[in-house]
Amino acid sequence: MSNRTPPIPVVAGINDPMLEGIADGWKVHDAADLADGTLLDADVIIIGTGAGGGTSAEVLAEAGFRVLMLEEGPLRTTNDFKMDEREAYRDMYQESAGRMTKNGAMSVLQGRCVGGSTAINWTSSFRTPAETLTFWGENYGVKGFAPEDMTPWFERMEERLNIHHWPVPPNANNAVLRDGAEKVGIEWKSIPRNVSSCWNLGYCGTGCPTNAKQSMLVTTIPGALKHQSELVYSARAEKLLLEGNKVAGVEITALGADKNPTGSKLVARAPHVVMACGGINGPALLLRSKVPDPKKRVGKRTFLHPVAFNFAKFDKTIDPYYGAPQTIYSDEYQWKSVDGPVGYKLEVPPLQPGLAAVLMLGHGSEHFEALQDLPNTHSMMALMRDGFNPESSGGDIELSSDGSPIINYEMNEYLWEGFQRAFLKMAELEFAAGAKAVRVSHLDSRWYTSLEEAQQHIPTLEFRANAFTAGSAHVMGGLCMGEDLETCVVNSDGKYHYLDNLWVFDGSTFPTSIGANPQLSVYGLACKQANGLVETMRAEKAAAQSA
Amino acid sequence: MKLSASSAAAISVGASTTLMTGCARQPDNSLGLTFLTKDDADFIEAIAPVVLNKSYPASLSPEAAGERLVKAVDALINTLGEHSKTQLSQLFTLMSSAPLRLAVGAPFTSWPDASAEDVESFLVSWRNSMMGIKNMGYASLCKILSICWYSQPETFALSGYPGLPKKIPTPVS
Repeated sequence: MSNRTPPIPVVAGINDPMLEGIADGWKVHDAADLADGTLLDADVIIIGTGAGGGTSAEVLAEAGFRVLMLEEGPLRTTNDFKMDEREAYRDMYQESAGRMTKNGAMSVLQGRCVGGSTAINWTSSFRTPAETLTFWGENYGVKGFAPEDMTPWFERMEERLNIHHWPVPPNANNAVLRDGAEKVGIEWKSIPRNVSSCWNLGYCGTGCPTNAKQSMLVTTIPGALKHQSELVYSARAEKLLLEGNKVAGVEITALGADKNPTGSKLVARAPHVVMACGGINGPALLLRSKVPDPKKRVGKRTFLHPVAFNFAKFDKTIDPYYGAPQTIYSDEYQWKSVDGPVGYKLEVPPLQPGLAAVLMLGHGSEHFEALQDLPNTHSMMALMRDGFNPESSGGDIELSSDGSPIINYEMNEYLWEGFQRAFLKMAELEFAAGAKAVRVSHLDSRWYTSLEEAQQHIPTLEFRANAFTAGSAHVMGGLCMGEDLETCVVNSDGKYHYLDNLWVFDGSTFPTSIGANPQLSVYGLACKQANGLVETMRAEKAAAQSA
Repeated sequence: MKLSASSAAAISVGASTTLMTGCARQPDNSLGLTFLTKDDADFIEAIAPVVLNKSYPASLSPEAAGERLVKAVDALINTLGEHSKTQLSQLFTLMSSAPLRLAVGAPFTSWPDASAEDVESFLVSWRNSMMGIKNMGYASLCKILSICWYSQPETFALSGYPGLPKKIPTPVS
């Protein structure tokens, strides 16, 4: 069947900026190479090197502070990015892309490498919707995050990461969403992307092989390393060491190539500590550290944008694994009501075969036959905007007996109602775009050969955990930001309410989900708050000098 | 959710058996495994031809396919968080005991001797069960086997995936 080859068969002649920098003397260390008991020091420690950590590191380093970046995951660089799912999941994803919620019902795709999820995301870059920012101000007392307050920070990061409307036509997989929307008469738009000279290959999710994606790995982390900063990877922040109202240091566990502890421990000390380790590992770190938390709010309100998937067969080649993975979206069903029935964003996922086989949950001949049609298969997805309604208070993070996080997030009737609405709408769009058969990602769904059949059968699908594929690639919340102490643990500057020198600059502080792919929301927030920290640290320095 | 009394009891026995024998699970050194035991490997190799259907063993010999899949599954599980690892070790422990298997709707016969029909009826019963924990076991097994198998290049011809571009790294001196 397959004597075809990829549209661009060879990728060569691409430099590796991280390896070049290291050869030039950048301070980059594998924690396993440092002696047991090594003491690291800096002006500020940043835990995590994804969207929040990378952005913060560059801001603080350019302001003249010595930054120490700690990353739990390994260092993988451009030369390693061979577009092979096996290597990418193993080396760059949390739990080898096998991370799941406690009851197994939802798969959570999240990065675990230098650059964090920015190294493996699909490049969609949306500003935080004005509705979301307004909701935070009204319901959580978040200050300084009104849409007009945030505009300059989004503009700044859009410029830094070359975020722009991408002018290249969508691949066939994304074109289905556009064409379906046109036929049905709903709004669609092209997705802004953080890319520069993108080759349109389709492998954003396995690490960009051409340096086109402006991930932290090729932008802000090198930016910080050029300014006397240091990066230690395979270094898990095990515990914050507390002294009165302050974090005195960070206890670090060195991890080996197999991701397990080598037995070495390191300690890092700095006047300020910034956490940017995400909505799962961040709350887990605070729970392990037994930080003050009088209202028991650490690890609450965890949001995942639960995703419903549809699959559609066409009588033409879609090749859903090739071409920029996400270029078209629709917010038609997103803001019908801010806090009523759940709203959702429509997008398209790429379908490399390993990921496709998981999303098409099932076994045996039916599952195999669906995969045999992969070249003619399209998939659409609906990202539920969780956290805006009392019926959607999110999940919570618990600790396992070894201190690793457990994500306790239950799908409920409120979200399921959104899934069913989305299954029906997606089927309508897919048939309108010419699909010959449509299936929703529920074990009891068959391939529907007409919209009428889909409309009859989808409402009969039963709601039970593990009977349908729900995925998540967006972890938000867990360390809620705001001034209401009943709910929030981080103030509007990103400072932990109960410690003087602990800051959280990442998506874990979002009081709700975003209602859009969150990377630009994290960049804007981290850029604003890290600049705030620069002012604080400069004032401290000036006070120390005049004393 | 309605639990069948005997199944619920067997699953909790499975859990406590695991707790008692947690240290006794011996990873199969002959394959260089870090999590899966010889029994677990037999179980995976027995269900693989049914779960993965005609994509298995692809262009590999049955022996090579079994080894490739078992090693990939072992490597994946080894990177999971403790909670998921514990649940999977409970599942595998259940699957390695004939009486416990019988109680939870899996074949009494040892896995290498189980027929494709035995495996199919086990999978279907777990998929359609009213017990959440069985649904979870079914979904976890399908997801783990699928991602480990369909990302192997030997299966690409069967899924029609023309394959990935070739990357030629640029050496840094």
